[in-house]
Amino acid sequence: MKIELKKFGDILVSRPAGREAYLVILAYSIKDIEKDEEIIIDFAGVKVLTPSWADEVITKLAQNHKIRLENTDNPTVKATLNTLSKYSDLKINN
Amino acid sequence: MSPDQKQEILSRIKGLSPNTPQMRGIRRQTLKTKKIIMNNDLEKKSIYWVKNNIPFQVEKKYYCETRDIFQARLDAMVDFLLLNFKIIENDIYILSAIAGEIGNNSFDHNLGKWPDIMGIFFSYELSEKKLTIILADRGQGVFTTLKKVKPELKNDEEALFVAFNEKISGRAPEPRGNGLKFVKENIKETKKHLLFMSGMAKIEINEKMEISQTEKINGCLAIINN
Repeated sequence: MKIELKKFGDILVSRPAGREAYLVILAYSIKDIEKDEEIIIDFAGVKVLTPSWADEVITKLAQNHKIRLENTDNPTVKATLNTLSKYSDLKINN
Repeated sequence: MSPDQKQEILSRIKGLSPNTPQMRGIRRQTLKTKKIIMNNDLEKKSIYWVKNNIPFQVEKKYYCETRDIFQARLDAMVDFLLLNFKIIENDIYILSAIAGEIGNNSFDHNLGKWPDIMGIFFSYELSEKKLTIILADRGQGVFTTLKKVKPELKNDEEALFVAFNEKISGRAPEPRGNGLKFVKENIKETKKHLLFMSGMAKIEINEKMEISQTEKINGCLAIINN
């Protein structure tokens, strides 16, 4: 299962928007996947990401699923993932 | 321009030696007023809006009444800066993320309980390669927000220190509170500058972090420079 974040926009900054994205992902993208199926989160095309948006999506997905991250070169993506691992206990085994 | 260079120019203008009593007086006066002098019209407008005890509506072009309006204007800022080619692309993204966190914080912590005017002041100015982004709100301020979850906080200065250094949120028990840590770390790492004021305190972050007292404002004000 692959989730392309650019389909939610290229400037992903607020918690309410992140929460809405997470609910949509739950309802339409990962509803029927197996518990142990890996979810690939693709950051290609994302220009601006903040910990507020990502905490509602990435942290929550990582709590219940095995996730893999792709195309994390954007500086705000790197900085956000760094913040989440320090302050939100995000653990990713890529 | 360094303070010494400014001093020298002032003394040349006045025809005085830098160490005369008159020049020391001028220097003291300059330092004394530095706190309230803003660099440009945009900064003056924003500080006037948050300092004034009588609430008034800010000009529409700077005013984001709701989060949706702020998001749309932030998106437009990114596009505008990318089209101008004056600032490094990666800096545009980082500065926009920082502005996004600060602007959304205003809505996160004041929704439904704005003391007078809801929404935020948001504007930016690009001159040559210098970008200034300004965000302000007439909300409750950091001290009032954090005191609810950390009653031992004594004043605005302590509240600012905690907000930028501890994982804490006025919206506990929701697991939040990483936004301003992200702001601080990325301002430092990318060698940008942030002035953040709330109540009677201000924090300045560049490579260092310094908290001090200042004149009272209503809510919060942030000035971000590249």
